[in-house]
Amino acid sequence: MLYHNASHGFIDGVVRGYLNQLLTSANYQNLTQCQSIDDMKLQLGPTYGDFLSSLPPGPTTSALQERITEKFIQNFMYLKANSNGTLRKFLEYITYGYMIDNIALLITGTLHDRDIKELMDRTHPLGKFEAMPVLSIATNVEELYNSVLIETPLAPYFKGSLSHQDLDTLNIEIVKETLYKNYLEDFYQWINSNSETAGTASAEDVSGFLQFEADRRAINITLNSFDTELTKPQRTKLYASIGKLYPDGTTLLSRADDVDGVVLACQGVPAYQAALESAGMGGGPLGGLGNQAGGMGGGIRNLDELLYQREMEISKLAFTQEFSLAIFYAWVKLQEQEVRNVVWIAECISQNQRERINNFISVLE
Amino acid sequence: MESNFFKFVMWLNWFIIMLVLFIAFLNLVMGGGEVFDIGAIIESISPNWFASTGIGLCVGLSVLGAAWGIFTVATSILGAGVGAPRITNKMLISVVFCEVVAIYGVIMAIVFSTKLNSGASAEEMDSHAAHFTGHGIFWGGIAVGVCNLLSGVAIGINGSGTAIASAANDTLFVRTLIVQIFSSVIGLFGLIIGLLLANKLPQFGE
Amino acid sequence: MSNVGREAIFPTRQSLAVMKSKLKGAETGHSLLKRKSEALTKRFREITRKLKQAKLKMGQVLQVAAFAFAEVNFQMGGDIAYQIQESAKNSRVQLKTRLENVSGVFLPAFDLGTVEGKDDFALTGLGRGGQKVKQTRETYTRATEVLVELASLQTAFVLLDEVIKTVNRRVNAIEHVIIPRTENTIKYINSELDELDREEFYRLKKVANKKAQDIAAEDAVRRERKLVEGELNDEQDTGPADMLKTDDDDDVIF
Repeated sequence: MLYHNASHGFIDGVVRGYLNQLLTSANYQNLTQCQSIDDMKLQLGPTYGDFLSSLPPGPTTSALQERITEKFIQNFMYLKANSNGTLRKFLEYITYGYMIDNIALLITGTLHDRDIKELMDRTHPLGKFEAMPVLSIATNVEELYNSVLIETPLAPYFKGSLSHQDLDTLNIEIVKETLYKNYLEDFYQWINSNSETAGTASAEDVSGFLQFEADRRAINITLNSFDTELTKPQRTKLYASIGKLYPDGTTLLSRADDVDGVVLACQGVPAYQAALESAGMGGGPLGGLGNQAGGMGGGIRNLDELLYQREMEISKLAFTQEFSLAIFYAWVKLQEQEVRNVVWIAECISQNQRERINNFISVLE
Repeated sequence: MESNFFKFVMWLNWFIIMLVLFIAFLNLVMGGGEVFDIGAIIESISPNWFASTGIGLCVGLSVLGAAWGIFTVATSILGAGVGAPRITNKMLISVVFCEVVAIYGVIMAIVFSTKLNSGASAEEMDSHAAHFTGHGIFWGGIAVGVCNLLSGVAIGINGSGTAIASAANDTLFVRTLIVQIFSSVIGLFGLIIGLLLANKLPQFGE
Repeated sequence: MSNVGREAIFPTRQSLAVMKSKLKGAETGHSLLKRKSEALTKRFREITRKLKQAKLKMGQVLQVAAFAFAEVNFQMGGDIAYQIQESAKNSRVQLKTRLENVSGVFLPAFDLGTVEGKDDFALTGLGRGGQKVKQTRETYTRATEVLVELASLQTAFVLLDEVIKTVNRRVNAIEHVIIPRTENTIKYINSELDELDREEFYRLKKVANKKAQDIAAEDAVRRERKLVEGELNDEQDTGPADMLKTDDDDDVIF
């Protein structure tokens, strides 16, 4: 703690500066009053001015999204470039999550013989790594598997849990979740054993985030796997061994057959239980899943949104801790949510669907 | 690698402690117990050594505290200043607070150094007064140094918070500054006690 | 209807009969085609009405669908379209075509068949947003249904439009060209035949006159001879020669 600022003080200050630049509830209120995306451009001017100025009049939502994401990426890269030591490693760990998505995309693309360039355009910029184009050159699954093992930092996540046959036979989502599970466990282990962070506020806060992420994934995987090809033993393998639900909750989750089972499993953690209840899943069987309102469902938020809301609150709280690496993680999450929020509002405005425009998730005052 | 080195150091520590204990035990059972007369050992050390070490620790620890404070607070000021350049000017006050801590140490080192006297004879240096001055400067220097060290660290951490808080909200600056002033006062306590002590100490050879 | 003209045909009784049967045929055809056209038009109007509804509905449904997709993006925080495209192996929704017969016109009709239990991207969004993906899929399935209905109606609309135009053109051609022309031809043949009759009559008259003169001349010669021979009274009983009464005249023309 006493030496934290000597290594990371500057970046710490910068990321807190980024936090101050994030849109607040008042900003969002102004954005929802906009009549067109051009109006939004004006409203976003103070924060994103430089990035939006090159947009032509009447831009599309995706162009807007591209621009704001660009700023996000640029900020993150600035942080990464100015970081050193543990923080550097920590920021790299954050990018591994995006890297998993990219690798899943590349695997899918390679299996279907897609064009490399097209694939590269679709990858998440945070998860880019130098050897990425090399992966697409692989012609068969085994080659691909080997090059993933050699070229990417994700090799430890493949090794031991996925063989090259698995890439071909398993659904890519399962591959992805397996990788993500290994990633979360590895990240958790690293932050709690690293000599610089173990036992500090950083480890505590980051563990909180990772546990939340693990729990969220466990709940979501269980809910989404009903009536699919994903069997219970397979499902159980996807639960990370960290998180507040582990081990009692995940054991119950692995046995769950319907929403009630999930609610039962989450009883140990009041926050999740509350979220499930507000999402309308606490009641009768299939109460939540049966709601196929197709986007016209009014004010009730679904579980994903509620969990996002919770994540944002944890992220906001992380900033109250001084000398903690968790603020970097929290900032990435908050900024990501901001991109989603702005795109959401832009979509609502451009599609003229204003009833649900206030569904964005904002925690900053 | 890192942990191996750590293990080695741990092992070395134990080895040294056991060795010392072994030698002490040998001395004790072989009738040489009087070599552990700590009072005699301290008495045999020259008051000049105590005085010089005290002055060194006084200024050294103070500067360490100041430096620690400055690198803690200044990195935060620089970082937060990227987003809110307006804070950089007034946040200099935190750096000044840290610097003041070093100045306390320097002041005390100067005051203490007036007690040194190269002209004092060997008999004079062995007097009760000389021992009083030597020990006084030594412990006074440590008191001032440690006060300033902790004060510096405290200002650093608070200042870092102040920089970040005032970058987010300008009105927080004055409020958090008060916390910093309290941290700074800790160093002042050391200075006051050091000065009071220095008044009691006679110069060597008087 | 003078511009219609008539058919180039010899005005004979045979062609008159042909023309008369043609006229009758044309009239029957006209009424049949007229009825077909009416049936088609009725169907056409129905389709147009449905088409309008379907188009309005499509607007709404597609808007909802697009919005649902935006929601997915909001929750997943990324573009899942590619992932879904890649994980889909077989079609879950299939288009079935069949033919529908409307007054002799075959209209293609499209139906949507859903392969039950087929779910290639059921696991999409496993980690997050999976439920939203499911909902969006439902929305898009409904949108596809509307789209297919619209496509079916639109195809029928275009085809029927074409057919109705053809039929109407035929009806009009029969009504305004073929029937007047045939009537004209019949009229022409009739008038020609009448003219011929009149000519015949005149000629016969002339022949009769000539014959009467010749007979009178003969009679005069005979009477003179009888006066000479004394048999005048026998001859006067026959009286003047009646042309229409003579059955045993020799044919003059035919």
